[in-house]
Amino acid sequence: MTDIRLSVNGRPIAGACEPRTHLADFLRDRLDLTGTHLRCEQGVCGACTVLIDGAPARSCINYAVNCQGAEVTTIEGFGGDEVMSRLRTAFHEEHALQCGFCTPGMLVTARDIVLRLPEADAAQVRTELSGNLCRCTGYAGIVRAICRVLDERRGAAPVSAGRLGPVGARPGASVAGARPAMTEAGTAPAAAPGTGELGLGGRKPNLETALSFTVRRPIDEVWAVLGDIPRVARCMPGASLSAPPSDGHVEGRMSVKVGPIATNFAGAARIVREEAERRGTLYGAGRDGLSGSSARAEVTYALAPTGPDATRIDITLKTVLAGPLAQFGRSGIVKELMARLAEQFARRLEQTLEHGAPDDEAMPETSLRPLALIAGLIADKFRSLFRRAR
Amino acid sequence: MKPAPFDYTRPASVSEAAAALAAGEGGAKLIAGGQSLGPMLNLRLVQPRLLVDVAGIEALHAFEETADALRIGAGITAANIEDQRIDTGAVPLLQRVAAGIAYRAVRNRGTIGGSLCHADPAADWVNLMPALGVRYELVGPSGRRTVAAADFMTAAFETVLAPDEVLETVVIPKPSAGARFGHVKIARKTGKFAMAIAVVVSDPGRGVFRALIGATHGRPLVVEEAASLLGSDGNTPDTARIGALLVEAGITEPAARQLHLTALRRAAAEAFSKALPS
Repeated sequence: MTDIRLSVNGRPIAGACEPRTHLADFLRDRLDLTGTHLRCEQGVCGACTVLIDGAPARSCINYAVNCQGAEVTTIEGFGGDEVMSRLRTAFHEEHALQCGFCTPGMLVTARDIVLRLPEADAAQVRTELSGNLCRCTGYAGIVRAICRVLDERRGAAPVSAGRLGPVGARPGASVAGARPAMTEAGTAPAAAPGTGELGLGGRKPNLETALSFTVRRPIDEVWAVLGDIPRVARCMPGASLSAPPSDGHVEGRMSVKVGPIATNFAGAARIVREEAERRGTLYGAGRDGLSGSSARAEVTYALAPTGPDATRIDITLKTVLAGPLAQFGRSGIVKELMARLAEQFARRLEQTLEHGAPDDEAMPETSLRPLALIAGLIADKFRSLFRRAR
Repeated sequence: MKPAPFDYTRPASVSEAAAALAAGEGGAKLIAGGQSLGPMLNLRLVQPRLLVDVAGIEALHAFEETADALRIGAGITAANIEDQRIDTGAVPLLQRVAAGIAYRAVRNRGTIGGSLCHADPAADWVNLMPALGVRYELVGPSGRRTVAAADFMTAAFETVLAPDEVLETVVIPKPSAGARFGHVKIARKTGKFAMAIAVVVSDPGRGVFRALIGATHGRPLVVEEAASLLGSDGNTPDTARIGALLVEAGITEPAARQLHLTALRRAAAEAFSKALPS
């Protein structure tokens, strides 16, 4: 718990809260100021917009501890505010609300538009309002209401609050030499692998990638190596088996790091090999104990001879990603990461087949950082093969 | 949707922040405005054990205009530049780009340095600075160093910043009088993540003709001799070569490539065929 002091609607507030408590929860749960609404909690919808030091800010992605010493104004704090009074009337008369969920955030943003941009036209109002989502009334009435107040105040000088640096930020106290307290490292709750259905189970994949490469080894030898699951697992960056595979069933973990994002998937897979077709399929499912994201995957490899001592390997990967990683909404980046992992896996597999083991050390965790450095070393021949295959 | 528990410290200076990061031994994460990190914390995609809050450090709000550059403190917000609370008129693109970042409520907190260090491939500052030939001044326990913007970001969300280093100052060279700029951002809706960003800078006085293709899946593509890409007049693009560059960067979907190509064409047209927007 951290002691904080701040001003809310002109009232000094002192209290203790967990550093992870965002400002909106502090306002709603501790101060009963439930006029601040919460919906997306990722800074997109604007329902939780309040004033911090007189300027609009999201209370869901600012933590109460960030607001130490700041002046916060919530929708309850505009009783005597002239512009807000005009906006309330205009919202009422122009039918600018229906269910009212977005209205507190809309009003706080509207007041900022009216004060900061007194010469704004309807188009600019719409642009400025783009960070506040309404899902029932629509925006026509809201824009009309704001324009009406703007028209009433034409000629007013622009007013803009704020100082240099983030609103609400105050200098810290010197703690030179002191070692900051630190939360104990969390341990990812172990997912229960091996239970439930493996593979996509008919679900439509939301991420797909494919690649092909040729190794200078006869097909029978490649087929035999691909049947050696621990050896293949060592080629996958960040993967480890938690127990020896038994009868095509494997359990293991996989860690992937992208900048500050760390994932640690625990899961299980069943591998089905079709000897005659020289084709194998892995049906897997796993869960990231850190973020609660889940993934299902089907990986198929097919072998074809391209000469007496050369074999082409075609790999396709289909994944359904769900939970926060998918909700984050950056499928392009996740897709690029998967492609790079596949590329890395293929390169290590190629080395294993041609030299007996990958050329580099085992990787306990993979991240784009080493991959980015290694990327430049990948042979152009291989890169172009890979790109063509996609 | 609440973050996993973390501890919190608010150091008084940049050197104290670097020391706190070093003491965190990989479990500490710097936070400035928190407008990109906040959502990731709430989604529990990022789970630091300690947040080191540098938003209030006054040294990071410094601004200085020298004979040949603007020196902008990493803690300056997009709204500060949008409102010209610091006079960045010598580099006109800055105000326009600042005003187009996310939403005003986000711009009031989000800092220029925070965005650069977060290194989101679709972020606005990330996709501007390399085009302007900017340098970053980094401070860490072992001292100070300067890194070119084009060398700073290594991949999506990855930079050359050491775990105990802090970006202190963004040094933006002033263009010469005849410089022309084009900047185009394509997004589904105002304030959403960009689907394509293109910047074209033509500054014959400084021997610069540079193009940037941004909002890729990783670091932006910077082409130093842009005449080979856009033609010496800026308006005869080599679409085959641009397409090949995009494929190389992993932009394989034809529709996405077309968006990037369109953004680049428009940015070049802006830089070469009309007066600098005021």
